[in-house]
Amino acid sequence: MSALTRLRPIAGRLASTVLVLLGVSLIVFLLLQLVPGDPARTILGAGATQESVAAVRAELGLDKPLPVQFLEYLQGLVTGDLGRSLTVNQDVATMLLPRFENTLILTGAALLLCLVVGIPLGILAARFQYGLFDRVAMFVTLAGASVPVYWFGLVLIGVFALSLDLLPTSGMYNTRNPGGFPDMLEHLVLPAVAAALVPLAVIARMTRSVFVDVLQQDYIRTLRASGLSETAILWRHGLRNALPPIVNVVGLQIGYLLGGVIFVEVVFGWPGLGQQLYTSITQRDLPVVQAGTLFVALAFVLVNLVADLAVGVLDPRSRRGGKR
Amino acid sequence: MQINDPHEETFRPPATIGRRAVLAGGFGATALTLAACGGGSEGATGDGGEQTLVIGIESEADILDPQIAGGWVTYRINKQIFEPLVDEDLTTPSAEAPVPELVPGLAESWEVSPDGLVYTFTIRSGVTFHDGSTLDAEAVVYNIRRMWDQSAPQYSAKAAGQTVYIWRNVADVQAPDASTVVVTMKQPFSPFLRMLAQGGNGSCCIMSPQAIEEFGEDIADHPVGTGPFAFSERVRGERIALVRNDDYWGTVAELDGVVFRPIPDASARVAALRSGDVDMIAVPSPDSVQGLVDQGFQLSEGTPPHVWYLSFNMQDEFTGVKEVRQAINLAIDREGMASNLLAGTVNPAYDVQAPANDAYVERTEAYSRNVSRAKELLASVGLADGFTTTLTTSVDGSGQIVPAQMAEFIQQNLAEVGIDVKIQTSEWISYLGTWAQGAQPGTGMMQMSWGMTTPYWLYIATSSTLQAPNGPNVGYYDNPALDEVMAQAIAATDEETANDLWRQANEIVTEDAALAPIVNDKAPYVLADYVEGFVSASEEWYDLRGVKLAAE
Repeated sequence: MSALTRLRPIAGRLASTVLVLLGVSLIVFLLLQLVPGDPARTILGAGATQESVAAVRAELGLDKPLPVQFLEYLQGLVTGDLGRSLTVNQDVATMLLPRFENTLILTGAALLLCLVVGIPLGILAARFQYGLFDRVAMFVTLAGASVPVYWFGLVLIGVFALSLDLLPTSGMYNTRNPGGFPDMLEHLVLPAVAAALVPLAVIARMTRSVFVDVLQQDYIRTLRASGLSETAILWRHGLRNALPPIVNVVGLQIGYLLGGVIFVEVVFGWPGLGQQLYTSITQRDLPVVQAGTLFVALAFVLVNLVADLAVGVLDPRSRRGGKR
Repeated sequence: MQINDPHEETFRPPATIGRRAVLAGGFGATALTLAACGGGSEGATGDGGEQTLVIGIESEADILDPQIAGGWVTYRINKQIFEPLVDEDLTTPSAEAPVPELVPGLAESWEVSPDGLVYTFTIRSGVTFHDGSTLDAEAVVYNIRRMWDQSAPQYSAKAAGQTVYIWRNVADVQAPDASTVVVTMKQPFSPFLRMLAQGGNGSCCIMSPQAIEEFGEDIADHPVGTGPFAFSERVRGERIALVRNDDYWGTVAELDGVVFRPIPDASARVAALRSGDVDMIAVPSPDSVQGLVDQGFQLSEGTPPHVWYLSFNMQDEFTGVKEVRQAINLAIDREGMASNLLAGTVNPAYDVQAPANDAYVERTEAYSRNVSRAKELLASVGLADGFTTTLTTSVDGSGQIVPAQMAEFIQQNLAEVGIDVKIQTSEWISYLGTWAQGAQPGTGMMQMSWGMTTPYWLYIATSSTLQAPNGPNVGYYDNPALDEVMAQAIAATDEETANDLWRQANEIVTEDAALAPIVNDKAPYVLADYVEGFVSASEEWYDLRGVKLAAE
């Protein structure tokens, strides 16, 4: 197989990514036009007179026709200019990039928890299918997947920050003497656990069901018959075969994590993108909402692209399938 | 209010309402959990050495450009960095000074000409901005032109829009010498000095012209003022840090620094206070206050200029009738709302002006609840069987307390006199937008929270020239007699005459029942026991110069 034919599907995926992002921008742009309220009035408050609202609208370029506003936005995008926030009067990229970075830190930590805890949990549950471990684990994960993140976050704060006084309640760094990385880690634990709960539960349950399926395959029976240890079967042969669907689910869960950390960021005062987006949406700060949504969409699409590619590497069958 | 704060609204804390409660999924259970868990961890004290006060605030702040920024939350920060020409004394608690006294700010004195047209300010000497540049008359004029003079290069449409009610009567501004600023009015404008001290929607705080020239559009990221604290750093969503200005012209602050930390969630804010992460919080969740006090935290309350009120739609076939509006005023159980629904965190309001205002009239009798009188009034205009109308409010928003629940309370009250109220709610910023459009056909009442320490507020809310959408008179109230009295009050050249006239205006609006004041907020803050010297004055913001942390 030549390198070119291997790259073609990737190129196609990248092209469709651009289309997706364009579509996302357009939809966000149109949706925000439907919401009542006017950024100029938001800036000036209820006492504003008609003339001052008009003056500020003109200053912000909001008096131009909608298609012109959208085209100007796209123009800026191509040149890497995400615009200026309407309410904060700051460059959108400068404003959002650090926030996005913070969200990635939180998402990354949560993902790590999901993988390190979720996958082994699912594998062991499948190994002891219908045993006590399986039943307890599946009950706990079902409960975990059903708990409102907001509530769970507050319980974590109540127990680990207030009663046991082990960890800080909120924020990213100590407010009085901001420390470096260790300080951040300390602040990261609780929000990461809260953010990880639901995807961890989903991943564990998915892993279990995939494994249950894999362990019933003929080649596993053959391996058992040839006297391989159960541990080797499970972790070497089983995992390799179960991995592709798990990778796919994990890819999707990362997308949900990126969207779902909004609540966690609010409860734990984590200065991430979700918190900023929420504020900006209520202010109708269009450039910020558009750029923020683009970031999330981009991350979602890229993560799933990577997951698909990873599946291709892990599962030779999918590559052959692609060629047929 | 600051009707405007774009940030606050989202997370107005008494989180128990509508949409947020749904999002919160089991908030009540959480509150219980917190209450149960809270016991153990009190008494984190200020760790000696660095005297840094950490304040948990209810939302991310707007920009640190005091002339443009909207909202009380932001002005509480900007006020520490910047100062206006004329200031209010916020070192005296509400109980002793129901209306904060006007005191010299960056103007050490002023004179008003007998005809009320010329204000001559003597600018304080020896004041430097945090960037080392000197405050002089030219700097003050530069600032005023930024808000008022469209032909000035530094003119900002946003600053002008925010401060339009302060500068709209100004004809000219000059600096005849380095320490004198002369403001000439087109007509006498008696609220001028008090308006110079306002901060809810923009303010006329003086910024360093050198910094404005240097940073241009990015000035809000480099705020440079003359205040007791200087800007140190801002990490969005995380912290705004200020440090003491040791070169301050007045008494230098006790604290080494202040950190404002946005914690939008009320429960998280309370948790941060309990754990000692912050020393003080704004807007505690109402159900947490008693527990915090029992644990030794301090509760500080005042009577800031806040009225939670309804504007009646004068173009509506029902609420356009005076007897109907009076009946509605009589049917509402303000005492019940204040003591039961809101657990004493507010005072019932019977006057259209807030108590923190010289034209406030104490009138508990005016519209005390009287259901039978309300029914009589309705019957007198042929509405004995009642009618159906709509009340609009928001689901959240700063100063709004718990608007949806309060609207439901009013709905029940009015049902007793046969009025069937439909409640229409929307999220705060959307609501501000629709509110500013004015009452639509079928809408009888629109709710808002607002108020100022100047009686001029009544003009902004009820003048016939400011009917929506040209201004905040959203009920299209148009009373020539009232307009006349308010015009006289504005043109009055001595304060007592002005206040008398404002009180007359107050009587007219009350008799007409153009507005229905419902409650006045007490703006509670909860502080750790080691925080000393914090004062809740009759304003929506505070002075931190006298605050210190007691040694352990």
